[in-house]
Amino acid sequence: MNKCNRGLVVALGLLMFSAGDAAWSQTAPVGDAANGKRVYLAVGCFTCHGRAGQGGSYNYPAPALAETKLPLEAFKVFLRVGPNDMPAYTESVLSDKEAADIHAFLRSLPGRRPPKDFPLLNQ
Amino acid sequence: MVFLSVTGREEQMRKKFLDQSIVSRRDFLKGVTLTGAAALATPVVSARAQQSPTTEHERVVPQPNIGAETQPPPKDPVTQTTSGGDFMAEVLNTLDIDYLAMNCASSFRGLHEAIINHTRNKPEILTCPHEEIAVSMAQGYAKIEGKPIAMICHGVVGLQHATMAIYNSWCDRVPVYIMIGNIVEADKRAPGAEWVHSAIDPAALVRDFVKWDDQPASLQHFAESAVRAYKVAMTPPMAPVLLSLDAELQENPIADRDRLRIPKLTKVVPPVGDSGAIAEAAKMLVAAQNPALICDRMSRTPAGMTRLVELAEALQCAVIDQAGRMNFPSRHPLNQSARRGAVVGQADVILAIEMNDLWGSLNSFSDRIVRSSRPNFKPGTKIITLGSRDLYMKANYQDFGRFNEVDLAIAGDGEASLPALTEQVKRLTDANRKSAFEARGKKLAEAHQATREQAKTDATIGWDASPITTARMCAELYAQIKDEDWSLVGNGIRITWPNRLWNFDKSYRWNGGSGGAGIGYTAPASAGAALANKKRGRISVAIQGDGDLMFVPGTLWTAAHHRIPILYVVHNNRAYHQEYMYLQAMANRHSRGITNAHIGTTLTDPNIDYATVAKGFGVYGEGPITDPKDLGPALKRAVAVVKRGEPALVDVVTDPR
Repeated sequence: MNKCNRGLVVALGLLMFSAGDAAWSQTAPVGDAANGKRVYLAVGCFTCHGRAGQGGSYNYPAPALAETKLPLEAFKVFLRVGPNDMPAYTESVLSDKEAADIHAFLRSLPGRRPPKDFPLLNQ
Repeated sequence: MVFLSVTGREEQMRKKFLDQSIVSRRDFLKGVTLTGAAALATPVVSARAQQSPTTEHERVVPQPNIGAETQPPPKDPVTQTTSGGDFMAEVLNTLDIDYLAMNCASSFRGLHEAIINHTRNKPEILTCPHEEIAVSMAQGYAKIEGKPIAMICHGVVGLQHATMAIYNSWCDRVPVYIMIGNIVEADKRAPGAEWVHSAIDPAALVRDFVKWDDQPASLQHFAESAVRAYKVAMTPPMAPVLLSLDAELQENPIADRDRLRIPKLTKVVPPVGDSGAIAEAAKMLVAAQNPALICDRMSRTPAGMTRLVELAEALQCAVIDQAGRMNFPSRHPLNQSARRGAVVGQADVILAIEMNDLWGSLNSFSDRIVRSSRPNFKPGTKIITLGSRDLYMKANYQDFGRFNEVDLAIAGDGEASLPALTEQVKRLTDANRKSAFEARGKKLAEAHQATREQAKTDATIGWDASPITTARMCAELYAQIKDEDWSLVGNGIRITWPNRLWNFDKSYRWNGGSGGAGIGYTAPASAGAALANKKRGRISVAIQGDGDLMFVPGTLWTAAHHRIPILYVVHNNRAYHQEYMYLQAMANRHSRGITNAHIGTTLTDPNIDYATVAKGFGVYGEGPITDPKDLGPALKRAVAVVKRGEPALVDVVTDPR
């Protein structure tokens, strides 16, 4: 990641950290989750982040995105810049509307649950 | 480095040997023993050759037998009672070699026949439908068993098939005992295949990634080179070795067996790092506020993990296991592999043990249009290396990685050097330091526990999804093997989920990766490792990449034929997935859209039914499993098959990573 890119992502991270979950919960999804799912699969987001948004890896670990707390605007910055080695999605590849739809889809995905409810995870 | 040999005896043997003339392959026919009517045939060696006493020079350097060349061909004998192959088989049986993996080939038919009949299938032959399978099985076996097995192939076409697996073994620093057949003398080659299957220097093809090779010109030469090859392969840094065996040397009768002798094999004591340097390293580690240990191909034997635990506990410091071997227990509180970025970033002293790519482990690299990098460690961090890699290196292939500046470089075998280092650390640790260490260890234990809880929480995402998440697959698999004496011998999804969720607490729980990242490793290397585990009653499991299996599907037949108990769980994401992602990155750079990235990277249309493939090779197969609820019962049935001593395969349709 170049210096500018890294600085942007760090700034976004700080913004997320300082605002907390409550602030993000006020951001209502504005996209079409059904279309977002279609685009998420079509443009290949799932290859690194998983079809269920569970995360994965490319050259570096790719974070889980299910039930993302990231606001849409910050999400779009990530898409356009591509932190670490993530491919950058320009507007000619992915429109703002499609980005919003993907965001809505990810917000709709069930996120982490308490592991105590999963016997197989307590072996 | 110390060689355990009796030098006086060696000298005696050397003198005795020099008193005897070396039996050249061109003298073999002198000793042919004929039976029946053939006994009345014309002697097969020329009269001139018999009459001309050989000079000392001719004894050592094989000379063209002009007499034989100029005489009319003798009447063919039809039987013989000895052969060079018999002697070669006897030599191999003095080495500590249990198996000979091969795809049969005429250029070593002499040795092949000798092994099956003269030494009664010892070493035991493993029938492999591809030379790459034979080498990879040897690689997997050696890492579990701690010693090599042999493989043999055609010197030209077979070796070309074997090259990728030899390169993997080289990069993985694993001893593999390779032999190839060749027909050295042009006038002895039959027209056709024997010409295109012969070479002046067949080992040249792989010389960049074998440690040593030879093409013996006589049987005595073979005996000495065979023992030397074993010793060279087993001396750290370990690596493959190769012997090219002339077909006539294998097939012709032996003139006088009593004149041949087999040297004693002496095992090598691995080199220990310099004592002064070890003491200096201990001083730096004890004085550090946040020392960290990072290791890759460190554990050569079961003692390796025990020794690393002892050092880590003496220091109460963080350990990052790069998983090139089974180095450190996954649930040990000092295991900080899941938070390596933070550990490296906070460290003031880093001890890197038997690292393959130290620079890559201590720096971040950005694979963007402008490639850039930055160190993950803070300025002033002292770096110490301990390992044997610098003791032997070659130039062409760049597996040594980018040069990394260090403060203290100790050349010595990591595992062998650890006891001395730990002793020094304990000696230097006073009460104050011990108290500080304990406080540090407590914090690290808390951090370790947090990463374990995080792993469990992360694994819940997409728990019921189809395709099945790799986290769910690994959790289901562990449920079926955790009460067995299990060994994960291959992993096509990298180490991530098993290492985060499973309890790797014994030296054989994990067998390392391919080394060269050459695809086609997991299936055969896992079978080789499972063969080593078989005698100890362990349940071997491989998480098998679908793309990898497509390179070497014949491995399944070998596993069935030799009754190798192993469970292959196919991580079937229907793609060469890393390449899929790389292609996406390239397309995005051009803003061309990435909807075409599946072209040339996926294994769909038709989808491959690996369970049916397995059944075709005589292996129990289930799948494709698409519903996560079906996975547990399928794995349970497959484990039952493996416990009966047979291979099994479960095909799981999975999410990419």
